[in-house]
Amino acid sequence: MSNTKSLLTIKDLHASVEEKQIIKGLDLDVKPGEVHAIMGPNGAGKSTLGYVLSGRDGYSVESGSVMLDEEDLLEMETEDRARAGLFLAFQYPVEIPGVSNLEFLKASVDAQREARGEDAITSADFLKEAKAACKQVNLPVAFLKRGVNEGFSGGEKKRNELMQMLLLKPKLCILDETDSGLDIDALQVVAEGVNSQRSADRSFIVVTHYQRLLDYIKPDFVHVLSDGKIVKSGDASLALELEAQGYAWLQKEPVEDELEG
Amino acid sequence: MSEWLESAIARAQGINDWLAPKRAHALELLANTKWPTRKTEAWRYTPLRPIERTQAKVISEKVALTPVSIADLSAIELVFVNGQFDSAQLPETLPEGLSISLGGDLDAAEQAEALSGFSAIKPERHIFGLVNDALAQDVVVVSVAEGVEVTLPIRISSLLSQGAESHTRVQVALATGSKLTVIEDLQAQGESLNTAFVEYNIAANARLEHYRFALQTGSNVAVGGSHFNLHDHAKMNSTIVGFGSELSRLDTDIIHAGEFADAKLNAMYLLDGKELFDLHATVEHAMPNGKTEENVRCIVADRSRAVFNGRIHIHRDAQKTLAELNNRNLLLSDKAEINTKPELEIYADDVKCAHGATVAQIDKQALYYLQTRGVSRSKAQVMLNFGFINELIDLMPNAALAEWIRPIIRERFAQMEVK
Repeated sequence: MSNTKSLLTIKDLHASVEEKQIIKGLDLDVKPGEVHAIMGPNGAGKSTLGYVLSGRDGYSVESGSVMLDEEDLLEMETEDRARAGLFLAFQYPVEIPGVSNLEFLKASVDAQREARGEDAITSADFLKEAKAACKQVNLPVAFLKRGVNEGFSGGEKKRNELMQMLLLKPKLCILDETDSGLDIDALQVVAEGVNSQRSADRSFIVVTHYQRLLDYIKPDFVHVLSDGKIVKSGDASLALELEAQGYAWLQKEPVEDELEG
Repeated sequence: MSEWLESAIARAQGINDWLAPKRAHALELLANTKWPTRKTEAWRYTPLRPIERTQAKVISEKVALTPVSIADLSAIELVFVNGQFDSAQLPETLPEGLSISLGGDLDAAEQAEALSGFSAIKPERHIFGLVNDALAQDVVVVSVAEGVEVTLPIRISSLLSQGAESHTRVQVALATGSKLTVIEDLQAQGESLNTAFVEYNIAANARLEHYRFALQTGSNVAVGGSHFNLHDHAKMNSTIVGFGSELSRLDTDIIHAGEFADAKLNAMYLLDGKELFDLHATVEHAMPNGKTEENVRCIVADRSRAVFNGRIHIHRDAQKTLAELNNRNLLLSDKAEINTKPELEIYADDVKCAHGATVAQIDKQALYYLQTRGVSRSKAQVMLNFGFINELIDLMPNAALAEWIRPIIRERFAQMEVK
């Protein structure tokens, strides 16, 4: 894999929110088909990373670079990043009453197809696809008619995020604490959905506080994020190590790099 | 006093019919009513110049107009053309237990009852309500017998041709345990002037589903009201959709005259150009255990102006009242204007009453969320703005009406967004 081109390359990224620096020199390289887990204590900057990569207002990049598929991601508007293949599954998806889930999904898919120069999908064909996606993530089809995430439970919101991912077929998916608030059954549904989308040309960054999710979504690499930097990287076994030790050691010991790569 | 009002009074003095005592009373009150100016609180943001200089005239010759057809909606058509009741548009037979008649055609007993109900719900404070009392020629009386559920909605249409002046009036009585849907609609062409008032008496355990569409736009002047009197355990659900015009003013009054009554009012207005829409919604909780929920949403574009006055008055005896008033407004232009004023007057001590009024721009989080899925910022804005209104369309109980109005609102919306 090491010879293939990178899908995502983050170099020495520094970013801040409301003038408070959160990301402090982050490097990450993700190749097509890889699954990277980013773990770390609360406040390490895990969610911030997703927001910065997606170009959320108020999150400013001070220095460093982010390339997605050899394009400068930081130069793009949020919607263009999505069209370039970036997908962020939110920890707390927003509720939008009045905009139906179906309308929202169709607008998203239409926008991305248009950006790729593809013909618009007919409403009938799209409805078929959306229903199939509902089934795959175990959401009743009636949810397509409801307002976006309106009155959905925590688990239903997460499955709705996953459904969007199935329909949008992104190149890079960032799952931001997708496991939080899920019981074990819901977790399995989500993990199965993610696993079904794993392919040689699609990569994942799984951001999580707990090791539990990684029992179901096996990562190729695990990184520990602390105080805005990746302080340790390893294979899937690192997650188990973290589970056993917790994150307390981060505050006590100076960082060692021997596991890098 | 304005010339317009003087001429209206003069014309009313020539009418002598079954409503004579009510008309005389209205004229007496009008004689002592000052023509509203900017200093008149109820008309502060709604200047009456368009009425003062109107060229609209009563057209007495018959004009053939029919209401717009709405797909999937079959209704009992109660049509006024230029203020004249067109009984030919009524179906030949009405459902059992429903009667629709010109007041003048009622027998003496029915007429006496209609007379006592006339202007008993609509408050006297409304100057154009008084004008309507005095000038509405063809007063139509609708009644639903006890326990009867009328499945077909009644659509009351006021149709105006270019340059017409019209005054329409309907009295609706729902007897105990009955059920009825009424749609009020105004379709006016060009410069025209209309006053349209409907009073609803909703007896114990009766249920009214109500709609009022004011989609006239342009140089039409429309002043009117829908007034509801709720008895024990009566229920009403009202939806108002307004597009504004040179002058559009609507007053609603909901009176909880019985206990455990339940009122819902959802109003939405979308204004463009130099349009004005003024909604004065008053709720009187006179009795205990009543419930009111009001949602008023408004979007103003260009140089349009919206006025909302939402008054909830909870009387001393109206303990255990639940009342909620929510008013949200969206400004699409720096030159558009929203004047909103919630007024709560609470004299009972064991009530739950909440109100909120916000004037806001778009929800940034929702905008970001849509963008992260590839939807452009501008398209996302349109979707969210439409969603703001669509939420209330989704609550309309009549699916045919919701499906009819949704694309109309969407189209209007697209026009508003262009500027």
